[in-house]
Amino acid sequence: MRRIMLWIYLHFPHLLLDQIRRCRPPEAPLVITDGQRQTVLQACPAALQQGIHPGMRLKTALTLCAELEILCSDRHREHQLLEDQARWLYRHASPVSLCPPDGVLAEIGSLERLYGGLPAVWQTLEQTLEDRQLTAWLATGHTPLAARLLARSGQGECTPDKARMEQALARLPLPLAEFDSATLKRLERLGLSRLGEVFSLPAAELARRLTPEVLAHTQKIRGTRADPRQSWQPPHTFRQQVDFLQEIEQTQGLLFPLQRLLNELEEDLCWHQKDTDCLLLVLKHRHHEPTRIRIRTSGPEHRASTFLNLIRLRLEQHSLKAPVAALILAVRRFLDYQPAGGSDLLGESQDLNEAWHTLISRLQARLGEQALQQLAPQGDHRPERAWTARPVTLTNKPRPEQSQALPARPFWLLQGPAPLDQVPETWLSGPERISGGWWDGQRVQRDYYIARLSGGQLAWLFRDLNGGWFVHGLFG
Amino acid sequence: MNDALNTLMQDSRIWQGHKQVRNRHPAESTGYTALDNQLGGTGWPRGALTECLLDAPGIGELQLVLPLVRQLSHEGKCVFWLNPPHTPYAPAMARGGVDLERIIMVHPQSHSDLLWTLENCLRSPVTGLVLAWPGKLASRDIRRLQLAAEAGSNICILFRDREFAGHSSPAALRLELTAGSHQDLKINILKRRGGWPGQRCTLSLQRTETAPVSRTPAAHGARAASQP
Repeated sequence: MRRIMLWIYLHFPHLLLDQIRRCRPPEAPLVITDGQRQTVLQACPAALQQGIHPGMRLKTALTLCAELEILCSDRHREHQLLEDQARWLYRHASPVSLCPPDGVLAEIGSLERLYGGLPAVWQTLEQTLEDRQLTAWLATGHTPLAARLLARSGQGECTPDKARMEQALARLPLPLAEFDSATLKRLERLGLSRLGEVFSLPAAELARRLTPEVLAHTQKIRGTRADPRQSWQPPHTFRQQVDFLQEIEQTQGLLFPLQRLLNELEEDLCWHQKDTDCLLLVLKHRHHEPTRIRIRTSGPEHRASTFLNLIRLRLEQHSLKAPVAALILAVRRFLDYQPAGGSDLLGESQDLNEAWHTLISRLQARLGEQALQQLAPQGDHRPERAWTARPVTLTNKPRPEQSQALPARPFWLLQGPAPLDQVPETWLSGPERISGGWWDGQRVQRDYYIARLSGGQLAWLFRDLNGGWFVHGLFG
Repeated sequence: MNDALNTLMQDSRIWQGHKQVRNRHPAESTGYTALDNQLGGTGWPRGALTECLLDAPGIGELQLVLPLVRQLSHEGKCVFWLNPPHTPYAPAMARGGVDLERIIMVHPQSHSDLLWTLENCLRSPVTGLVLAWPGKLASRDIRRLQLAAEAGSNICILFRDREFAGHSSPAALRLELTAGSHQDLKINILKRRGGWPGQRCTLSLQRTETAPVSRTPAAHGARAASQP
């Protein structure tokens, strides 16, 4: 049975505007202008109320509203935003394809059964749009182009009925049908004003009198010619950006937008069933190199609250070198989500594991990773090399069998051997000769003694080859 | 007269010996019977601060806490070492039977970081013991730490200079440590919650096998080092 293809198109009339408005409480009217700051491209509702409308010259707009906030449009940024939208749409529908600069297309014919009917799909999408405070014009269509034209005309509706959609298309004014301007002019000169009138022209005549491309376009709209779309795949990274109109000068001010980003990250991680242990926070400045802050957790994590706490600690330690113009949160490393396992009925052992990660992450976030260390013995005869320090990790490996056969060693090892500045009170044991290191050029030949110093300390002394006396450790 | 006495008895400012509640805080044995006996048969108080006051590191203070560290590390509890004056020597601890996986060294940069770390470690359920060398502490800070230790029911041992012995402190247990004439440690209990201070005991710590020095270790050499 041939499956009926049904497409839904989401047209975002002012994506950049929405993005900015959802990151900050609305203040002054806001417009987005083109690159040369000549024409208004998008205007927020407050600006629309003042009489400003897209297409108006910026100078005119400024005379209408003096405290207008102005932002230049940015191709690259808009594409990123569009990908963000595709990212969440991908959770609800597949395949998804991008229609830059402001549209996303998805096939929903196959989802009817999953959601239990087309209205349910529609409702889900509208609900999500509302949650994300986005303005989008939706339309279903029997072909990708039909969905697109209907959505962009703002007359889209939720219907699987092909005849109804064709009627709506036929009523569409020609300027909205996306012919190139020369074709549009010729069609208008022919006295046509609606798309339906173009549809009723004989195909051969249309190709001969106009161009074959025009015919192809109309056929694609009607579905008599294939219109393959490239399916979009979500990237395996997470990257979100917030732009600030007014630069942020205090780290406290970053927490509010961060909260939203982290919530989105949590949602994203949950959808992918992934965890992460490393976040990258990039603070963009207007005149300085961006500040990069790397936040590590000591174990896999996906909860926004945990990340926020760690970031808060890090930011408390961090003073901004310049006001922040934009904030980027990026995650590149994903770990498979580890379901809680091995916990007892009351979940106590799991809790402790988690508490351990929380505590260590907190300490590392505030003190820096190098401030926490774990020690381990190392196989070398030279005392200064007989131990190592490494970053803290939680290991549950079985303990190596402790041997009493290890020689007597002091609990305290001094940073480096310190010259002996007194005559020890009593000599207790020695000498123990330690000789080694000829293999790596760090030659050591020492005679070690244990002696009591005048302060009552038990010291580990040695005499080197030159007859110099040093304290190397204390029996604490 | 009787009336006046009764009102006086109800005054909360009057301390009444016979009404004293025996406050039996849970405690961990120190591993030394002599010291446990002096501490009322208990040991290191849980959920409270202990101060060890000593002149210089190296008189046997680690040997004193070693049994506790060993026990807690084997129970899977974390033992934090904050700002130790020297490097704790891993081979010696391994020899002492300590599970090094549970030992975490923390070196905070500043004093405020140190206090913050102490408080966080003390409040966490994963912690068993915090050993800290905090240096100077305001009485207010100690009280804060005391509350944190109570909240986490953890043992916290602060090693401080003996000059602080004369200062008052809200710590539950204060021990003054001095080196004995042989390999022993003299402990003077300056303060003990729910008990009288002033007990003394001497622990003989077998810190090294005193194999007699086989040959006199060139004593003149050592003397030469002392006279530059």
